Amino acid sequence: MKRKVVAFVSSMLLCLTSAVSFAAETIKIGALYPMSGRGGLYGQDSEAAIKIALAEVNAKGLPGGKKLDVIVTDDQSKPALAVTLAKRYITEDKVKFLYGVVSSGAALAVTEVSKEYKTIFVGTDHAATDLTANAFQKYYFRVSNNTYQSMAAGALYMKDEMKGAKKIAYIGPDYAYGRDQIAELKYSLGKLGVQYEMVGEFWPKLYEPDYTSYITAIIKAQPDVLVSGFWGGDTVAFIKQAKAYGLFKKMKYFHPDGGGNYEVFSTLGAECPEGLIMSARHHNNWPETKENKDFVAKFKKATGRYPSYAAEGAYAGILAIAEAIKKVGNADDTEALIKAMEGMKVRLPEDPKGFASYIDPKTHQMVQAQAIGVTVKNDKFAPAKYMLGKFKVYPADKIMPTQEYIDILIKTKKK
Amino acid sequence: MTFEIFISQFFGGLSVAMLLFLVASGLTLIFGVAKVFNFAHGSFYMLGAYFSYQAISMFENFWIGAVAAALGAGLVGMLLEICFIRRIAGREEEGAFQILLTYAFILILDDAVKYIWGPAYKTISKPDSLAGSLDFGQVTIPTFNLFIIVLGLVIVVAAWYVLSRTKTGKIIQAASTDTQMVGMLGVNVSLVMSLVFGVATAMGGLAGAMAAPLRTVAPGSGVEVIIDSLIVVVIGGLGNFWGALFAALLIGEVNAFGILWMPQWASLLSFAVMIVVLIFKPKGLFSREKGRKKI
Repeated sequence: MKRKVVAFVSSMLLCLTSAVSFAAETIKIGALYPMSGRGGLYGQDSEAAIKIALAEVNAKGLPGGKKLDVIVTDDQSKPALAVTLAKRYITEDKVKFLYGVVSSGAALAVTEVSKEYKTIFVGTDHAATDLTANAFQKYYFRVSNNTYQSMAAGALYMKDEMKGAKKIAYIGPDYAYGRDQIAELKYSLGKLGVQYEMVGEFWPKLYEPDYTSYITAIIKAQPDVLVSGFWGGDTVAFIKQAKAYGLFKKMKYFHPDGGGNYEVFSTLGAECPEGLIMSARHHNNWPETKENKDFVAKFKKATGRYPSYAAEGAYAGILAIAEAIKKVGNADDTEALIKAMEGMKVRLPEDPKGFASYIDPKTHQMVQAQAIGVTVKNDKFAPAKYMLGKFKVYPADKIMPTQEYIDILIKTKKK
Repeated sequence: MTFEIFISQFFGGLSVAMLLFLVASGLTLIFGVAKVFNFAHGSFYMLGAYFSYQAISMFENFWIGAVAAALGAGLVGMLLEICFIRRIAGREEEGAFQILLTYAFILILDDAVKYIWGPAYKTISKPDSLAGSLDFGQVTIPTFNLFIIVLGLVIVVAAWYVLSRTKTGKIIQAASTDTQMVGMLGVNVSLVMSLVFGVATAMGGLAGAMAAPLRTVAPGSGVEVIIDSLIVVVIGGLGNFWGALFAALLIGEVNAFGILWMPQWASLLSFAVMIVVLIFKPKGLFSREKGRKKI
């Protein structure tokens, strides 16, 4: 009899707690990603990665039995639309966090909304240094590298690994992303005292379909190294067209921010030239840690394909938010959340052994290491036939934007 | 500038120009004959690239891909004309509707492509026979680019022959001058319209298939080629086939040498050329002085 009562009471309790946890409100996160067009792949990969992160975080549980929930909307990478959607998230959906955004232009607009409504905005993808420098506001956090970090790592690589390369040419898309990269590389090379000569700068428009005339002009300029600032499909188109002209036999190709994005390798397949020097914000084959292997495997299982770099950023942000809520005990005290996130460590798939990414308290930029590699044959991540290898790793603290550079940005760009 | 650099830049510009011509000529043909401004024309370029991607992944043959691209895009183009465009064609006073309708199809085709093939960008390999490059001393010209130039010239000659030496061509020319009159002479005008639409979109599709080994195609890449095609059509004169050829060559070469001499300003050059042409010849370089008689 006694046993029956115990069983009854405990089952009642179980029902009650499960009912409570069911009724416990969810903490909403409002994510903005492009779901179509050239950036659509990043949006779709980010959404898939968010789902993986949510499953992990919600399984572990949050204070008060609450659960995280993410709403994803297509912002078409348009600043005006992103602002409208962000405001609607805050006023109608009552989200506690704004999230995501691929386009730096859209992110610069959304960070203003975040400031105005005092709502935390966790950026997962966009790379413009401005957001954690001259356009910084305290409700903004970024969990992936900015272009300064990749270009600073790039400068270190040039100094140590490419000693003979003195004549530099640059090609990059003609908007902020392309312009910032070369400015940041020049700044870092200058800081390191590397001597070089610019023999040409080329500015095709974003999504330029045909680079033929640029390629012949670059070959004519005879640089030792061509620095490239393309992303996505533009990288693929440029490489295919340049290969036919024998460009890669005539100079080194150096692409430290987005050249090594997985989708470049999966699209190029066997056509990828060997020996291109590239990096990305996340590599599927580096570091060889359990965290990275698990993340890549989970993504592959969920979607049937390997992730682009964008996925890891989207995954990282959810872990960071969950960590902050655990520290504070709720998601309502925004100011306390900010305090908790400043300096907070999060162990991420892209962290090499013995290191955990952390948020710089001053700029709210995630401090991460950067690995630059060279394209080598590797068909373990089909349909890619080449992946990066022979990685050189640059420690996180060596590639953070200096205060001097932030001051330059504040002076030249204002807010 | 040495002769080698000139040749290298010139041929680069020429291959860009030929692909541009393939898209722009269809756009201008449709405007000339059907008086429809087909904003969605770039989307047929995109469709062509996807059709060839699909055919190549099934049959592993580049040429089957090219045929599939032209046929597929042409077929979709004809369907579009028969089901939708026909209902608003010729009503010049309602040009805004044409733009709305054809713009809507940019979005519809983009989403259709995304739904079928996914959001990742696609590219295909060159056929083995054209994968190499020709070296002339300092000048390297990829065989495939040379092939595109030759193909463009073949199409120009074929178009010249059809337009000026065959009955169909004469009907098309007549229809572009006065559609009603041609109808009164007993010509099945709607059939001519559908055919023109089909051929024009097939050329766009073929351009997509030829560009796919060089470029990347993603949902939305139709818009990337339509702007340059528009510039070409405006410079050449709306509806003027030969104008489109001349303007495509002009824009291709102006860009090629602009990039060499003033890379900072290169992306402005085609617009600058267009503005200059519009100031001195508002109806385009190849327009007939008096303009077309209004129907």
